[in-house]
Amino acid sequence: MWIFNSIFGKIFEIIFIPFRSLSPWVGMTLISLLTGLLMLLIFRYTSNQEGIRKVKNKIKAHLLELRLFKDSLALSLKAQGNIFRSNIKYIGYSGKPLLVMIVPLILILIQLNFWFAYQSLQPGEITILKVKVQEGQNILDLELKIEPPRSLAIETLPLRIEEQQEINWRLRAKEGGLHSLVFRINGQSFVKKVSVAQKPLSRISPLRVRRNFIDELFNPGEAPISKDIPVKSIEVKYPNKNMNLFGWHIHWIIVYFALSIIFGFALKGVLKVEI
Amino acid sequence: MNKLNRREFIKLSLTAGSFLALGGSSAPIIKASGKKETPEKLIILGLDGMDPHLVDVLMNQGKLPNFRRLQSLGDFRPLRTSTPPQSPVAWSNFITGMNPGGHGIFDFLHRDPERYIPLFSAAASEAAKSAIKIGNLVLPLSGGKIKNLRKGRAFWQILEDHDIPATIFKMPSNYPPVPTKQQTLSGMGTTDILGNPGLFNYYTTEFLELKEDIGGGRIHEVYAIGNKVEATLPGPRNSFKKDRPESWLDFTVYLDPVNPLAKIVIQDEEFILKEGEWSDWKSVRFPMIPTQSVPGICRFYLKQVRPEFKLYISPINIDPSAPALPISTPPAYAEELAKKFGGFYTQGLPADTKALDHGVFDDGEFLEQDNFVLQERMDIFDHELSRFESGLLFYYVSSTDQRQHMFWRYIDQEHPLYDPKLASIYGKTIESIYIEMDRMLAKTMDKMDKNTILMVMSDHGFTPFRRSFHLNSWLKENGYLNLINAWKQGEEDLFMNTDWSRTKAYAYGINSLFINQAGREGEGVVRPGAEKEALVREIAQKLEQVKDPQTGERIVSRAFVAKDIYRGRYVEEAPEIIVGYNRGYRASWSTPLGRIPKNLVEDNKEKWSGDHCMDPNVIPGILLVNRKSKVEHPALYDLTATILDVFNIEKPEEMIGKSIF
Repeated sequence: MWIFNSIFGKIFEIIFIPFRSLSPWVGMTLISLLTGLLMLLIFRYTSNQEGIRKVKNKIKAHLLELRLFKDSLALSLKAQGNIFRSNIKYIGYSGKPLLVMIVPLILILIQLNFWFAYQSLQPGEITILKVKVQEGQNILDLELKIEPPRSLAIETLPLRIEEQQEINWRLRAKEGGLHSLVFRINGQSFVKKVSVAQKPLSRISPLRVRRNFIDELFNPGEAPISKDIPVKSIEVKYPNKNMNLFGWHIHWIIVYFALSIIFGFALKGVLKVEI
Repeated sequence: MNKLNRREFIKLSLTAGSFLALGGSSAPIIKASGKKETPEKLIILGLDGMDPHLVDVLMNQGKLPNFRRLQSLGDFRPLRTSTPPQSPVAWSNFITGMNPGGHGIFDFLHRDPERYIPLFSAAASEAAKSAIKIGNLVLPLSGGKIKNLRKGRAFWQILEDHDIPATIFKMPSNYPPVPTKQQTLSGMGTTDILGNPGLFNYYTTEFLELKEDIGGGRIHEVYAIGNKVEATLPGPRNSFKKDRPESWLDFTVYLDPVNPLAKIVIQDEEFILKEGEWSDWKSVRFPMIPTQSVPGICRFYLKQVRPEFKLYISPINIDPSAPALPISTPPAYAEELAKKFGGFYTQGLPADTKALDHGVFDDGEFLEQDNFVLQERMDIFDHELSRFESGLLFYYVSSTDQRQHMFWRYIDQEHPLYDPKLASIYGKTIESIYIEMDRMLAKTMDKMDKNTILMVMSDHGFTPFRRSFHLNSWLKENGYLNLINAWKQGEEDLFMNTDWSRTKAYAYGINSLFINQAGREGEGVVRPGAEKEALVREIAQKLEQVKDPQTGERIVSRAFVAKDIYRGRYVEEAPEIIVGYNRGYRASWSTPLGRIPKNLVEDNKEKWSGDHCMDPNVIPGILLVNRKSKVEHPALYDLTATILDVFNIEKPEEMIGKSIF
């Protein structure tokens, strides 16, 4: 899973490289354009274009029929029935490409979440660092040590929450950069990346998880933690980020879907795709 | 549709690109003020409660070098305060250039004469006029209102008429802020989001004698089960529901089994505090109905983890980044400050004197909390000072007043709560805040150029508050007030045990005494005219004779008859007598509550040990200015006339002061 995540993640890094210092709107516009194009292509090659064209024409014809014979109740009802039937058929034609689209779309959404949903810490900002420990481990006896770099500070002793099998610390960012927090447990060590004062468009990984297909699928930002280590996950709580449009804070996913749909409709004529 | 050529397409794309690149960055900065470049600029530092005697002593000791420097450039004089010398009254004199007869603010409290109940004198809220009721749901068809009860125009409104820009920061008696395009942020009188002056919450596993609801705070008894404390934070009343139930938020505190640490989880916020540590501002949102919630901000203080858990949560302040109630003009001013500085105290008087009074804070904790207030004020002051270019900048500081109220007991060896050991630690607290203000003045003087007029002023001074006088008990002893059940004396608040048919006078507020006038009061018995006039004079005369049986000192140095001293349209609404207490004396805390204890005078055993609600002649404020004053004994309302004079604006007829230049 990690190999797939690495490759897929790299593609997004390459796409965003030229735009990382610019407003996230630029990257969002580009990725929405690419998504619009991708979805159009998927639609074009997986759907019955001819069938869609025909059924849409039929709907138009029946709409015309409705207008022309509005004085005849029987004909109007028949036209409405035909419109309904054609709509069902149209939905049927759209079903296949939608099913094909859903897989790449979920993978894209997972990746985009790390680029657009979080903002890196700022120097001086404090947050919580959480380590979830495997069931069955006594967190009070666990010898877990953190070695922070000079650019980060662990400000508190560990706060252990037994009912959640969780150990928390207060973490303070001191200097900008992508820093490594080193954890040592039972003679083994592992690392959690912490992003401080990164460029406006940066990939932020809040959670590093233990090797597990589903967890890795949804948290592809860092390599999984080895199964030999009794830790389920390490999390840095980053502030949430929204797309700022003249003071309006909009969730990135709304912007992404809106722009992708706009681009899709704008380009369907150019690519000759019947939607 | 016309086709675009390649060049037009590129141009359009670049425009769209720059819109997208810049569009997301920030909202446009809104700056509101008049436009005129004024030849002279005016900076006024309003330092609440600064006392001329203390300033003089500290200047002579060389501890206020910048006050001395300012004096050498112009003048230093005692500033005549208002009658009574209470902050809302005094600042209203300054705002309007009138006395209480003109602006209608006579005391912290006023009263409803029909029902004999106390009312907040500065502002009143009105519920929505019409609403639709669906089951338990109440959907208002119009918004509710909060009304500033001060009458008369504020000087910055007059400046606005002449296009003179003004920034008015935290002016007391200006909540909600009066309509203007000037930049103003409301001050004293601004409530928390519950509509109180400031209600803290205190959570503890310790058994306390304190009741759940104490003045200014709420005590919550909680349990730590499995190193977890679950509690609720009370919010504003939900006016979208029948009977307006209280809203609340659940929150959880996780305690480490060994280390003195706790994690607090409330809504989207989670943060770790060490024992003895304060959080920064945390945002909370109280849900009302699915589409409506009330935002607020508060700070958490983890006082202790073990053996007893103790957590203090500050009053929930109006969030300046999304104010639920009006706190600034234009509304975007508060938001602009929040964007630059994050959360800050928006409640009128943020120093939590009640937490100190009730023992929730010790002296050090109180000072730590008030230092946050002061630091926020100084940060915003630096910002406003740096961008001040023209017109007027008024900047208010409350810490001078609040610290003198709470720490006078350490500089007054005759105070019942004087403790030499604690005095050795906190005896310099008042001196320190004066020195801090001297630093603020230094910064201001650095900014000053030859066209800048700089004034430092206070609304009143300070004196000790050693003995409490139960004015209603005195009225009862002298036959002016009678009880229904004499044996129940002292047990009831709000005059519940008062026989109004045999009562001629009563006291509400701190300095106000009212006649139970027929036709005005609900059960009035004294006829207006000669009968009332004679009674007022008789009571005033007798009050000036009252002596403390313990010390032999006079308790009331002057009893002012309102119609002799007030001018303006609202004199008829004034209390008949304004009681001017002698140095060391003040109305007891029972007096404003309409309580009638059995004794007349007692020691003040509250930490609130310095005060100013006395005879105005005993406690003038200060005026330091870099020009000579032509008026020998300037008063607060003279400064209002002076402000207009600086900008060559003619004084309105209703203003009673005159320019000091």
